[in-house]
Amino acid sequence: MSNKLSFYIDRPSPLQRLNPLTKMAVAFAFIIIAFSAHWYWAPLIIFFVGIIPIAVVGKLGREFFSTSVHLFLPLFAFLFVMQSLFHPGGTTVLFRLWFLTVKLEGVQFAFLTATRILVMVSSFLLVLLSTHPSTLMSDLTQRGFPAMLSYIVTSTLQIIPQMRNKAGTIIDAQHSRGMNTEGSLGQRVKALLPLVGPLVFGSLVDVEERAVALEARAFNAPRKKTSLREIPDTGWEKVVRWICLLLVVVSMGSNIWLS
Amino acid sequence: MNLIRSIKKDFNTMTLVLIPVAIAINVVIGEFVVLLKLPVYLDSIGTVLVGVLCGPWAGALTGTLSNTIWGLLIDPNALPWFPVALFIGFVAGWCARFGLFKTWWKVIISGILIALTSAIVETPISVLLYGGITSSGSSFITAFLLQTGHSLLSSVLSTNFLVEPVDKVATSLLAFAIIQGLSVRYVARFPRSENVMVEKKAAQNTQLIIAIAIAAVLIIIAATVLVSLLAS
Repeated sequence: MSNKLSFYIDRPSPLQRLNPLTKMAVAFAFIIIAFSAHWYWAPLIIFFVGIIPIAVVGKLGREFFSTSVHLFLPLFAFLFVMQSLFHPGGTTVLFRLWFLTVKLEGVQFAFLTATRILVMVSSFLLVLLSTHPSTLMSDLTQRGFPAMLSYIVTSTLQIIPQMRNKAGTIIDAQHSRGMNTEGSLGQRVKALLPLVGPLVFGSLVDVEERAVALEARAFNAPRKKTSLREIPDTGWEKVVRWICLLLVVVSMGSNIWLS
Repeated sequence: MNLIRSIKKDFNTMTLVLIPVAIAINVVIGEFVVLLKLPVYLDSIGTVLVGVLCGPWAGALTGTLSNTIWGLLIDPNALPWFPVALFIGFVAGWCARFGLFKTWWKVIISGILIALTSAIVETPISVLLYGGITSSGSSFITAFLLQTGHSLLSSVLSTNFLVEPVDKVATSLLAFAIIQGLSVRYVARFPRSENVMVEKKAAQNTQLIIAIAIAAVLIIIAATVLVSLLAS
């Protein structure tokens, strides 16, 4: 279990200073264009011309690369093997291996799916690497997003590491009492309850105290709340967001028009 | 207007504080299951818990945020699957409102209903974004069905119908066990605590007989649907 709180890397760069909404808009534009574009190579071009330069500008090249390899390599290996062997239809046989036939259509389909997933997950990843979750949430709150949601997200991000520590303690404690986490399926199923029980009941007990504390601090007050941090938003970023919307509309329109 | 008021009533302070804990429960139990190498996910126990105790809307919110945070922390691949989690919380909430979270066999029915919903919601996401093959082990079943000449949609749908019930019934039963372990005083602070108050024994027995009869009919129908799906 990793103890790292999020993908975020605190490193000043032009990408980090951008408004979170702009980064989200660009990411979603990339994703929608990758999935709606009519052109086979579009997702790959977006990845090399859009996403990689942005990662370099954001000084995140190394982390971006290592996390991507970690995330994509197993998925893509699996995808290529399964799709090239089992993709339905297709007539062009590339080669035969005993009873398995690899068809060109399957490989092509696997490639398209893989590049689309690459664009989707790596644009999310880039936003996450360059944006602290609480920056994103305070920006959204300033734009009129319910404060309740940003409370939920930020407090979850604080609770998860605490709970992971607690989980580690429980696992150690149950191990020392002789619980078996390996062995047959039956034994492993039996090990689940002594782990889940203490963890869940222990954390649910805290809920009530926290609710009382929040109510005592006027969390439910209907007034507009002020924020400690102001997230900057410049005029040209608004323009960028409109351009993103325009590109998405053009891409989707061309997809409908061409098909 | 009535609907908005009833939704607002569900989001009291206890709900707001329970949701983060529920999401953390989803994540950490999900990791326990990976550690124990169990053939299920069990990554929505907290979502079902909120759905039952705080109503369908709170459950739906928990599911959505749970996937968002899973994506933020662990794997961005989780983000596009948020509608599945949303519907798990929503359906769990409605099942509980109709009294399906009061005894263990009713909870099994809820589990099956949740599984059917999530199988249906999952299928288009899997087909459109991932071409039907995801990194989970159940893709081998999909590949087998594809190889035996079924269409992509029916292969993915039948795989989900086969795989989901085990996971979701186990999830619902664990959530039920957790709720049973909580004190009545504690549960009463949540907006939908009446969902889990136990009924009289005599009423339960007649209901059980009726339920078994209905279940038998449903299993036959499901089997024929599955067979015709696979035969087509």
